[in-house]
Amino acid sequence: MPMTENSNIAIKIDRVSKLFHRQKQRTFKELIPALLGGEKAVETFWALQDIDLEIKKGETVGIIGPNGSGKSTLLKLIAGVSKPTKGSIKVNGRIAPLIELGAGFHPELTGRENVFLNGVILGMSRKEVEGKFKQIVDFAELWDFIDQPVKHYSSGMYLRLAFAVAIHTEPEILLVDEILAVGDEGFQRKCFEKIEELRKNNVTIIMVTHALASVEKYCDRAVLLKQSRVIDFGDVKSILDIYRSAPQ
Amino acid sequence: MPMLESFTKYHELLSELTMREIKQRYKQSVLGYAWVILNPFFQMLVMAFVFSIIMRIPNLGVPYPIFLYAGLLPWTLFANSLVSASNSLVGNAGLITKIYFPREIFIISTIMAKIVDFLLASTIFIAFMIYYQLPINLNILWVIPIFAIQQLFTYGLSLFLAAANLFYRDIQYLLGLVILIWMYLTPVIYSTELFPEKYRWIFQLNPMAVIINAYRQVILAGGMPNLKSLGIALALSLVLLLGGYKFFKKLEGVFADIV
Repeated sequence: MPMTENSNIAIKIDRVSKLFHRQKQRTFKELIPALLGGEKAVETFWALQDIDLEIKKGETVGIIGPNGSGKSTLLKLIAGVSKPTKGSIKVNGRIAPLIELGAGFHPELTGRENVFLNGVILGMSRKEVEGKFKQIVDFAELWDFIDQPVKHYSSGMYLRLAFAVAIHTEPEILLVDEILAVGDEGFQRKCFEKIEELRKNNVTIIMVTHALASVEKYCDRAVLLKQSRVIDFGDVKSILDIYRSAPQ
Repeated sequence: MPMLESFTKYHELLSELTMREIKQRYKQSVLGYAWVILNPFFQMLVMAFVFSIIMRIPNLGVPYPIFLYAGLLPWTLFANSLVSASNSLVGNAGLITKIYFPREIFIISTIMAKIVDFLLASTIFIAFMIYYQLPINLNILWVIPIFAIQQLFTYGLSLFLAAANLFYRDIQYLLGLVILIWMYLTPVIYSTELFPEKYRWIFQLNPMAVIINAYRQVILAGGMPNLKSLGIALALSLVLLLGGYKFFKKLEGVFADIV
């Protein structure tokens, strides 16, 4: 969605609310007695309410908050996989989500095949993936295993490859959901170095995490969510102070 | 036209996902892709034995194995497409919650993979035709539009099933039963002429019956298909497809919330 006004804004979230329909019964066996007993088939609740946020290009923003506060829902709305019930979201630039541990990978396919598959899923053309292939495998340090099915990979290797592909899609907006908690220390450092590099290249990064230390270290600003609302949005230090002082 | 975007704007993604479907099969087993050919072949052999030797189906003008195969192959394509398409969203939950692209690409790619299976399985049918020295003529080209109608019908139905299966997983179990009953109500193992005349109108409403009769007419009898029936099947398929597409797109925004 192109934005004409104010082009230095990467994401504009305007009075967004998201109503969830929690379906209590997933099978007819559960549904039919429930309906006969006069129960409601669907239960609703607000996962997000009246969210207003403006994220500038090149900013790194951390989203923090207790479990169930709506962090992941917010990320899904930004990624465009879930539509807001009310309000609007405008995104300016190509988004790459760091897909959770190999969601786009197929265990029977080789590392090489999965790089192409995942690259195209993330919006690259086959040609672009070909051009980046060497860099991707270099980054993942997986030349020895690249022609083996990824089902033989360790979870660390899996993650390295997934991260390497996502990071090489040249995203303008990178969405990171807790993923960096996995992998060995050396690789984690490498990931963060890469993220530093992206930040310097004016890539917008949105992180959802419980690791307050990484928010402190990498983010310019932070959003504190609680019970589906934004409590505060501002510089990292003051937000973390509020979060830490509040009773959990 | 957004309905065609999957084939234009997203054609590389579509082919990657189709290749994933195809590759995963031949990598998972020793015989790999041979199963795709062997499965319908043995199914045909067993059914041909039961129905021509035990049940003694009357002479249908062509050898029974080839009569059966001409109906069984497209039916198997239809049934396999429906089953895998209705699971395709549930099976790709990891992608659906993370990244956006039109969700019908999952449906189309599973159907395309099944079409590849079908084409491979058809090689044995062609070998049979050569072996029995079945005469063919230009009417065989009707196979192409008939096949196209079959795919429109399959795709439309798949859109409904895949979206509904996300809400109630019973759909996939129910589907197995429905497909079984449907097959017996479609002239796959028997010919229309063997069906009681006063009930034959049912076939008019069943696009799969029309489609399978049309295949047999143009391949085995070398005649023209019944254009009136085929026209009704085409119209039904288009209505189903438009309805299915609307239904699917309307629910697409909540797929990631419920999957």
